Amino acid sequence: MELVCLGVNHKTAPVEVRERFAVGMNRLGEASQNLLEMAGAPEGVVVSTCNRTEFYLAAESASETFSKLEKGLAEKVHGHEEPFYRLEKKDAARHLCKVVSGLDSMLLGETEIFGQVKQAYHAAHAAGATGPVLNKLFQKVFSVGKKVRTQTRIQEGSTSIGNVAVELAEKIFGHLKDSEVMVLGAGEMSRLTAQALVSRGAKSIIVANRTHDRAIELAEEMKGRAVRFDDWLGVLKNVDVVISSTGAPHTIIHKEEIESVRRARKYRPLFLIDIAVPRDIDHAVGEIEEVYLYDIDALEQLAEEAKARRVNQILECEKIIELELLKIVK
Amino acid sequence: MDRWFLIFATVLAVVAGARGLLVLRHGQKSHWTVWWMIGVMLCQIGYLGIRGEMRGACPLRSIAEISVFLAWSLTLFYLLVGPVYRISLLGVFTAPLVALFQGFALLPGKLDPTPEKVMNTTAWGETHSAMSVLAYGALALAAVAGVMFLVLDRQLKEHHLKSGLFRFLPPVRELLVSLERLLWLGMVLLTIGLIAGIMMPHETAGAWKHVFVASGVWAAYVALMVVKRVRGITGRRFALGAVVLFVLSLGVFAFV
Repeated sequence: MELVCLGVNHKTAPVEVRERFAVGMNRLGEASQNLLEMAGAPEGVVVSTCNRTEFYLAAESASETFSKLEKGLAEKVHGHEEPFYRLEKKDAARHLCKVVSGLDSMLLGETEIFGQVKQAYHAAHAAGATGPVLNKLFQKVFSVGKKVRTQTRIQEGSTSIGNVAVELAEKIFGHLKDSEVMVLGAGEMSRLTAQALVSRGAKSIIVANRTHDRAIELAEEMKGRAVRFDDWLGVLKNVDVVISSTGAPHTIIHKEEIESVRRARKYRPLFLIDIAVPRDIDHAVGEIEEVYLYDIDALEQLAEEAKARRVNQILECEKIIELELLKIVK
Repeated sequence: MDRWFLIFATVLAVVAGARGLLVLRHGQKSHWTVWWMIGVMLCQIGYLGIRGEMRGACPLRSIAEISVFLAWSLTLFYLLVGPVYRISLLGVFTAPLVALFQGFALLPGKLDPTPEKVMNTTAWGETHSAMSVLAYGALALAAVAGVMFLVLDRQLKEHHLKSGLFRFLPPVRELLVSLERLLWLGMVLLTIGLIAGIMMPHETAGAWKHVFVASGVWAAYVALMVVKRVRGITGRRFALGAVVLFVLSLGVFAFV
């Protein structure tokens, strides 16, 4: 029995091709059964995420399986050049190890893929599409994925501005469930950053925007409340995190304003995130003892450093995978 | 034998601190620190048991004995507070201080190998000594938490976030809460110690001087806590206050 893998991903095909192959989570089992029919193979698993769709099969003949699959999928690739990659035996197993470890992801080291592959395997298993070859392979690969993630720093650090902001907020306040967040400016960047904080449990969101209707809209979306833009200083007393991203051509938060509420805040820590260009928060605000001020450059630099650290871990991860492959493919 | 227990406790504390720092430098968590510190505690108990037997009282009659008792108290509060608040890193910061106090007691001539038996003990006197040193254990641990806060605060302010130390330091708010609770605990114990100190018989003017200075330390801590509660204070000043007051208050034992 030979292990084969045929797939499309973000490196080989544009989104308009990938979307033709996409399979919803609730249809993965059925898709695996269809795969068996299409390839005439006894075992198969379909893995589908936003960046990839891959078909793993255990079959008598790899070349025969590839040609049957390509024939069956020809309609979906119509008009596009060769979007598939084909892998056999050890190469296919190595690729699956890399996929579950996040080494083949668009965002290097991301963790979501591990769960997605697991779900795909369970769906195929429940649909009766797997057998001894793929069962053994996937079980081993999951333990390799775990090993890579625990023994290296491939998933360490945040690689997006929103996540860096969340990580810093958690370093300052611990659990965010007791933290109030204020958003100044209802643009996309502030929405994304605020959303990241809300997803980690931030207690409440207050939105202030020059156009009050837009503030109300965003506040409703975030299940928070809107205040008039001129009133932002009045609510700062209870706020722990401020995300500022207005389109103002000059700074809107100054040292004197923050100093005027320090006493009322009882000098509690205040985390200011300035993601506006030009900057919204005067640099001098960062001189206030309890204020932690981060602008977009600082956040971007932290994200880049985390990405670089992850890239440095690739070799380490590959070493683990190669060692484990010797046990998987004898 | 008491000296050997103390040597073992000091070696274990050095190992706990050094290993913890080494592990941190490699960007990993120091899971073993708490176990090394349990070893330190067991050796300290061995020392205190033998020394207490020799003295026939709480072994707090010389600066070296006080120093070791303080190290024991610090270890005790670390083991009580550290794991509860998931502040594993606290041990890496505490261990060097424990080693320092015990190392001082191990200096030649500091720890009398044949201490005199204490004949004239009073309940007030014993309570004063034990409670005061216990209080200083809690206050020392508060100072350690204060140092941790100051390190984290500096890293966050200056955007130096790459070190292993940064990754494993507890959040700012958690550190400040622990710091405040430890100070309250230290304050309560210190108050009991001070009351006992006033009640105990004073035969010399020096004894009253000691109580007077201890009252000054107590008042300074009360002032810090009242300012924190009523007016509010920045984390940096609060942490710095806890560190400075502890260092200054050590003078009460050392020189008065």
